[in-house]
Amino acid sequence: MTSPVKIWRRQKEIRKFLGKTGTIVSWTKIFISGRGFKKYAPYPVIMVKIDNNQKIYGQLVDYENNNLKIGSKVIAVLRKVREASVDGIIAYGIKFKPLYENN
Amino acid sequence: MVGICSYGFYIPKYRIKTEEIAQVWGKNPDEIKKSLGISEKAVASIDEDSLTMGFESASMALNGSNISKNEIKFVFFGSETHPYAVNPASTIMAEFLGIEKNYLAYDTEFACKAATGALISGFSLVKSGYSNYGMITASDKGLAKTHDPLEYTAASGSVSLIVGKENIILELIDTQSFSSDTPDFWRREGIRYPSHGGRFTGKPSYYHHIHQATNLLLQKTKLVPEKFKYAVFHMPNGRFPVEVARGLGFSKTQIERSLVVNYLGNSYTSSALMGLVSVLEKAEENDLILLASYGSGAGSDAFVFRVTKNIKKGRRLFSKAVEDKKYINYPKYLKFIDVI
Amino acid sequence: MISLLDYYTTKFGELWEKSLSDLIQEAVNGVLKSSKLDKKQIDAIFLANMLAGVLENNLHTSAKLAELVGLNIPIYRVEAACASGGVSFNLAKNYLDANSDKNIIVIGAEKMTDYSPEETTQALSGAASGEEQEAGLTFPGLYGMMANFYFEKYGYSEKNLAHVSVKNHFHGSLNEKAQFRNKITIENVLQSPYVAHPLKVMDSAPISDGASAVILSNNQSIIRKSKHAIKVLSTQVINDTISLKSRKKLDEILATKIAADKAFQESKLKRANINVAEVHDCFSIAEILALEDLGFWKKGQGGKKVLENSTRWGSNSHLIVNTSGGLKAAGHPVGATGIKQIGEIFLQLTGQATNRQVKNVRYGLAHNVGGSGGTAVVTILGN
Repeated sequence: MTSPVKIWRRQKEIRKFLGKTGTIVSWTKIFISGRGFKKYAPYPVIMVKIDNNQKIYGQLVDYENNNLKIGSKVIAVLRKVREASVDGIIAYGIKFKPLYENN
Repeated sequence: MVGICSYGFYIPKYRIKTEEIAQVWGKNPDEIKKSLGISEKAVASIDEDSLTMGFESASMALNGSNISKNEIKFVFFGSETHPYAVNPASTIMAEFLGIEKNYLAYDTEFACKAATGALISGFSLVKSGYSNYGMITASDKGLAKTHDPLEYTAASGSVSLIVGKENIILELIDTQSFSSDTPDFWRREGIRYPSHGGRFTGKPSYYHHIHQATNLLLQKTKLVPEKFKYAVFHMPNGRFPVEVARGLGFSKTQIERSLVVNYLGNSYTSSALMGLVSVLEKAEENDLILLASYGSGAGSDAFVFRVTKNIKKGRRLFSKAVEDKKYINYPKYLKFIDVI
Repeated sequence: MISLLDYYTTKFGELWEKSLSDLIQEAVNGVLKSSKLDKKQIDAIFLANMLAGVLENNLHTSAKLAELVGLNIPIYRVEAACASGGVSFNLAKNYLDANSDKNIIVIGAEKMTDYSPEETTQALSGAASGEEQEAGLTFPGLYGMMANFYFEKYGYSEKNLAHVSVKNHFHGSLNEKAQFRNKITIENVLQSPYVAHPLKVMDSAPISDGASAVILSNNQSIIRKSKHAIKVLSTQVINDTISLKSRKKLDEILATKIAADKAFQESKLKRANINVAEVHDCFSIAEILALEDLGFWKKGQGGKKVLENSTRWGSNSHLIVNTSGGLKAAGHPVGATGIKQIGEIFLQLTGQATNRQVKNVRYGLAHNVGGSGGTAVVTILGN
């Protein structure tokens, strides 16, 4: 169950990952999602090893299918992470975009 | 001397072409392209909003400069599509940027000129010694009713400016505002899409306010259009800025570079500023730039800027970023703007 | 010596007519009847269930069970996601190590079909970490990540996974309590829609209702009187991180490895001694990883080995896996699975497995996993 306070605590944590780059350790594509993610389905979720060796999860956005493979480079961006209820707090969090060499 | 020390921008990856929308509603795409002067517009994804885009442009402004986060003592967020009716996006954005807490923050609203009004306040705060630097962010995820002319123009994007008095790349020479009560375009609380007064949005609104603000500014500064290298106007579509420029005495060459609306659409509060970003990619030291925003309701903020030598280091690549795009079809567009 | 005296399971499937209480009642009555024990001889009950609290706001189930059976004895509810059954069995065995001359019922029960698949999927994702849930990962998503990693590392594809589901459905066709009795083909599996790439509907255990119960005892005179008591040679529970990303390796479930090593050590048996095994195939990839992590196959060989169909009933090999139909075909009422697995081994070891009986079985192993590998239970039973 999400609450504004949980979102608030969580957002302090994710701040430190924004803008960080890393590589895809593994990935999947969710076709049947839980509540709160239906609008985004189907969506890929990746496990990323960021450049200081920590691992985090996030959806991959603004991608082409050939970006979705183990070893691809990605960068962390800020996006809405789940559908907010019409009167609830909006949860912002980390997602990833493919990182192209010339960026 | 005060001015803009660093800037950033964000354009979402997705585009929808005018003909893609036109064919759904049985309209002639060539006619629409001719009358609106837009061939495609930028569309933000389902999980983007004015806050996420504002964060991206503000990050670019901050990361690409030597300015320390600790020196930024005010953060203003201008939008007409704020994520909340009550809850400041300025503090959400500042917190994600890591700007620590003894700063002034507020969100502004004045249709498409929400950010330029805050920009004027920002310059004054720097001038008065309130702070060495401040962040002004313009950001919108433009929404329009389907099967409405605005559907071809309403787009998404964000521009952020850091103002200050040192290491300036764009010096503020002077500014002039012109404001009135003119109901050309509005959106009521709780209503999703804006409404507009059709042709009333032209002569008495857009043209009148920009003319007044600009002419007053030119008189004040004793400058004439010929002195300017570039002119940038708010771009609700591809025709209005061309005509307002002509009416004021600016040439096609002077405004050409700024007309991002042709391929990005109208990103509301960041529209004119995005035109400025495009111009700055090519501007040289000592160029004079005229910028006039327009906000429905109505008002115009006009600025005269002078490009400094610091532009060489502070310039951002724009054309290349614009080309990083992906076309979507109409159903996907409806999905992204959360209609289906 | 602790012995397993008897076993009863309800059918697994979409049991619309039966509530959670009905299922529990049926299993308890069933196992008492078949063991010919009176309920007054039962000294304690361990109940495994994962979702009752989340789905039907049903907590304090120990008291609810006390009301159902009409006994004033200790009743303990255990939750460890899909390993609830195995863990409850382990706790029951530990209870008997500490208390002499007792008879215990260990029952696993789950009611999942009263709610929409979306609500159930949401509830099941409680077995994943908060971060995993926040990223939109579902259970299938976590195993999907393991599968893609395994494919990339060892050069396999979805086709290798399909063999697992085909075998388990064949076994299900032999088990009258199984949810799915239909045989399927490789093509059926490969053409089923994706749940979380690369896992498809036919790679995934279903949503099911059911309850399974066993009677454990260390009362030697009761054990002697029993028709077919089987010794509990070892049961080991090991936990690991809840997050998949915090595990040391993505292509193994370390908790399984450690639990298996300890169980084999405790029982003084070797892998080659095991003739039948029930392993945790929540997804087809999980069965492949299980057989490697339990030490039956070398790491990375599983994708190839499944093509040989050696673990299929009727093959000449010395290890047959998931004669119950596994989680895939027998069904997966979460809390009941761990007990059903143990019960199936019991049936095999006591010659009661009817048309899916494996010949010459002496020792069997049950393997139960919670979440994406945060808990593993390995139990070895023998004659």
